[in-house]
Amino acid sequence: MKAEIGWLCILFPFIGAFLSLPLSKVHPKLRDYGSVFFSFLAASLSLLLIPYLFRPTKLPMESTFIWLTSPIELNMGILIDPLSIVMANIVAVISFVIMVYSIGYMKGDSSLTRWWMWMNLFIGSMLLLVLSNNLLFIFIGWKMVGLCSYGLIGFYYRDEKKYWIGGPSPTKYCTPSHAGLKALIVTSSGDVLLLGGIFIIYSYSGTLNLLNLYETSSFWIPEMAHSPGMILLVSMLLIAGSFGKSAQFPFHEWLPEAMAGPGPVSALIHAATMVKSGVYLIARFIPIFFYGYWIAGCYEASFFFIAIAWAGGFTAFLAATQGMVAIELKKALAYSTMSQIGYMMLALGISGFSPPTLIEGLTSGIFHLISHALFKASLFLCAGSIIHTVQSIYMTHMGSLRKSMPFTWIFMFIATLSLMGVPPFPGFWSKDAILVSSLKAYHYPLFFLALITVAITSFYSIRFIGMVFYGKKSKHIENLAPKGRPFLEAHSTMIGACGFLSLLIIVFGLLGFTTEHWLKEGFKVSMETIKLPVQPDTNSLIFHLFIPLFSIISIMIGMVPAYFLYILRRVDPKEILEKYSFIKALYKFFWNRWYIDRFYYMFFVDGMNKFFTSIPKYIENPLDQFFHEIIPSLPERLYCSGGIILSGKSKKEWERGTSKEGQKPATGIHLGFTLLTALFFIALFLIIMFIWG
Amino acid sequence: MIKMIPYILLQIVIVPMMVSLSIFLIRSKLSKRAGWIVVITLLYTTTLLCIAGIRVYQGEVICEEYPVGPKIRFNLLADGLSLPVALIINLCCVVLAFYSIPYIKHRIEAIYGKVEKRTWLSYNTRFFSLYLFFSTGFMGISFATNLVVMYFFMEILTVIPLYFIMAQFGYSDFMERSKVALMCLFWGVAGATFFLIGILYAYIQIRSFEISILSNLAGNSSTIWFILLILLGLLIKLAIFPFHVWMPWVHAEHPTCIAGLLAVYANIAAYVMVRVLILPLFDDFKVFNVPIMILALVTMVYGSLLTLAQNDVKRFCACSTISQISYSILGLGAQTLWSIEGGLLFFLSHILGKTIFFSTAGILVYTTGIRDMDEMGGLASKMPITALLWIIGAMSLSAFPPLLSFPSEWLMFTGIFIYGTNGSWIVLLIPMIGVSAIILTITYTFWSAKRIFFGPLKPNLAKEEIKDPPLTMSVPLLLLGFLSAFLGLYPKPLMDLLHSVIKIIL
Repeated sequence: MKAEIGWLCILFPFIGAFLSLPLSKVHPKLRDYGSVFFSFLAASLSLLLIPYLFRPTKLPMESTFIWLTSPIELNMGILIDPLSIVMANIVAVISFVIMVYSIGYMKGDSSLTRWWMWMNLFIGSMLLLVLSNNLLFIFIGWKMVGLCSYGLIGFYYRDEKKYWIGGPSPTKYCTPSHAGLKALIVTSSGDVLLLGGIFIIYSYSGTLNLLNLYETSSFWIPEMAHSPGMILLVSMLLIAGSFGKSAQFPFHEWLPEAMAGPGPVSALIHAATMVKSGVYLIARFIPIFFYGYWIAGCYEASFFFIAIAWAGGFTAFLAATQGMVAIELKKALAYSTMSQIGYMMLALGISGFSPPTLIEGLTSGIFHLISHALFKASLFLCAGSIIHTVQSIYMTHMGSLRKSMPFTWIFMFIATLSLMGVPPFPGFWSKDAILVSSLKAYHYPLFFLALITVAITSFYSIRFIGMVFYGKKSKHIENLAPKGRPFLEAHSTMIGACGFLSLLIIVFGLLGFTTEHWLKEGFKVSMETIKLPVQPDTNSLIFHLFIPLFSIISIMIGMVPAYFLYILRRVDPKEILEKYSFIKALYKFFWNRWYIDRFYYMFFVDGMNKFFTSIPKYIENPLDQFFHEIIPSLPERLYCSGGIILSGKSKKEWERGTSKEGQKPATGIHLGFTLLTALFFIALFLIIMFIWG
Repeated sequence: MIKMIPYILLQIVIVPMMVSLSIFLIRSKLSKRAGWIVVITLLYTTTLLCIAGIRVYQGEVICEEYPVGPKIRFNLLADGLSLPVALIINLCCVVLAFYSIPYIKHRIEAIYGKVEKRTWLSYNTRFFSLYLFFSTGFMGISFATNLVVMYFFMEILTVIPLYFIMAQFGYSDFMERSKVALMCLFWGVAGATFFLIGILYAYIQIRSFEISILSNLAGNSSTIWFILLILLGLLIKLAIFPFHVWMPWVHAEHPTCIAGLLAVYANIAAYVMVRVLILPLFDDFKVFNVPIMILALVTMVYGSLLTLAQNDVKRFCACSTISQISYSILGLGAQTLWSIEGGLLFFLSHILGKTIFFSTAGILVYTTGIRDMDEMGGLASKMPITALLWIIGAMSLSAFPPLLSFPSEWLMFTGIFIYGTNGSWIVLLIPMIGVSAIILTITYTFWSAKRIFFGPLKPNLAKEEIKDPPLTMSVPLLLLGFLSAFLGLYPKPLMDLLHSVIKIIL
């Protein structure tokens, strides 16, 4: 049992998904706990892989079996290496925690069988994605998680008003079914481009196996470089796929609406796991493009890293600005997710900026992925508990909740500190690592962009904490309370799940530096195994001394105004908006999501709508008329013309003489089709007779 | 044991036709049993196909010879190419026969109103005796080794089941129905005529109608005319732009219980293209690679856009067929090992998916009496199994794993990209546009799911009688979905069979 553990990891959630329906027929509780049990098995098995992280020289391990033998042999396999171990554990462990949380959150829902089915199917698919050893099965997992995301965002498919997202009026609302469709189409747009990239890679390399791709890169990358622009094209296609799934600019607009799904879905799929699959995939492709640029000397390969770093940095900034003005709690967290994934992308992009930053960038990106998965899952679960209790998605309908929901407040506060990057929480260590690597690459513009985003992150984090837990009770809460709905803490399984994640955040925070070291060692050995040159770490100490200082200053810059505005409530933010027209304009710009979403709707939805509705009018109907009216009417026309010529009458006179009253216009077409068909048969008969003769 | 069944291929082809004639002759004594007799007949031929399949998978090529004239031999051949095609098509026939039992009852009532039992039985037996000709036609085309025999079965399909079923059991009023039936006949005959002229042209050259002799035409400068004529006939059958105009009419007005078979009727031309053109004349066919691929691309995109513009649920499915069929043609046009095998696999996955999709559209019309998607909405709460079937169909058309369409599209596009990367940048654009067009499929399939099934239930649908259809309609379709998933997870047997024949191009 080595790599085979990976198979079982994938298999158990799928079994859970298929057993949900039969178990529900036995007893609903058996279905609920059974489903959670299968995710527990996956989590336990993935934990068994962790010891290998400390023995990276024993890695990578593979286990394969033949899937296809013709037209070429294709294997299905598992790859156990530091990256897949980290990802599998994040997916399986956090999924299990969220499954436990779901027991309370989804209690009483009439579609629980469907819920458990989708959730387990998602966990299995996600594990398939991160544990597969080849691009085909990675892509299968990739497509399946997209489908599960669609099913779970649109879980409340009846579109009752209470599940709408967006608003308040005049801002438009979005129904769950619309949000699901939007997510599916936007992410699928990336998927098809990714597919194109994979096919081109296969056309040159002849393999889909990741390790084979790395090993044979010295053959196929130079060959690909012979076609100018090909490496650049492949880079862009692969990036598009990854950005689609990870909601990065310009494919980012689906994620805010994806919050229409139930709370656990937002936590699991749209914060902790699926949206990270793009980061994972980019990390998988790094060795290929690193080889292409730094060893094979293909200049085009450098664009892969430049595009990722800049698009990541830009998304981090763009999404953070939108997070500053959001009034829906989960949407604020969704913007934050996009922003934090932007950080990860930035770090991964930096890994290709210079040979010494390869390990640094890769480690910091993946390290931030781990810490973000923990604190964002916790934040979303807490948000789910709050929305569940308050029965509103708007933060303006909340306020002063820390007294009635003390546990949720503590857990959310811990996670928020980690999001802000406050020491000693894991967010501090991972963000610090990203800043260090960007500075080590001597890429100052990206470094400052990241630093500014730290300040903005700090602002919106304190803002949502302040709006939810501090200040006065909102009218909404006051209106609800007399109706006999006292605000109680969430269900015990929900508190337990959030508490467990908070504990993990603290533990990881305390082990932050060590975790980074383990990861670095693991990736170093991985890169050496595939013969990539790993250069020693330089100037680490100086960087690690100064960067935290910069980071903490940035946190303070963002935190202080937010603290005065949303916790102490010294000034009403609305007054500031009224007073300063520039800030108001900026607010409007951010509130309208930089007008990107509006542009997409105008161009892709309305534009396409106009385009395809004009097709019947301008192409299909004229073609149809030609084939089904003009051609079949030819015999009739010939008959008319013949009749006119032979009778010597005028056209009108002849028509008057032959037409019958009440004759249907279709008769001519009937006659036409019949005659033409008969003509075909006669012609055929003659041809056959001729040849036979 | 499995080798002891005599005339196995002849039985597969002829038995449905003989049962059909029997049903017609003893229709007054059959009561309501005609549908079940058809089901049993098709289950019998499916069993025979499975037995033949085992033999072929073990490496045997089954060939039966029946001389019917001095120049035409009625030979039947089951190899790795014809057998899987015939088996999957026959399975679709079985599923739709089950589906037709309740559906045609409803259809007769819808067209002819409450008629006396004798009249009703007459219509019912008439439908089922015509239905069996589908199986005969498809099996004949699949196993034919002779061009004239192939043509004969193509014409059988066009004239007997398609024309008569459409004219008697189609939608709209009698005039419109008969017009569309004639239209279908006209296009079918037009396509077949070009095909026949091509056959005769080949006969003049090689003095034989045997497909296996066609390779003698290879390298001949006049072969291009033969390919062109046959291709023209097949492109009409395949509803490739601009010859697609018959498809929306015919599909939309036919009774939905045979709509899945209409997709087979059109798509089987892909199989004929491989059998008659690509395999025997591999090098000569290369001249047509780029034009075919461009035509396929145009049809893919145009068909998808046309689908997006539809509100009528039946026309919606019809237009999607136009788009989907051209995927296989794109694969065949690239003419690489991967793309041909993938293209054929895509043809099989498409007919499975389209049978589910079309039949589900039929269920919607059967249950609600509505065809306009704008008048539907929120039906998932009342018809969960139907919603599931629609989603399975949507997944199949959009090539989502684990359904068979995923590996087929993967294999096909691998081949197309191999072709594209070996050419210039312009040639690489073909697979790039092709793969990007998948997004249009995802958009129209899942958008239709939203329009029909999700959101609040429309007030006009809040009736008690609107519910999931009888199990005889839904269960066979679900089983077809499972089959697609099984073959998608484990496509090896199918691929091995196809590869055993297609590999000769290497």
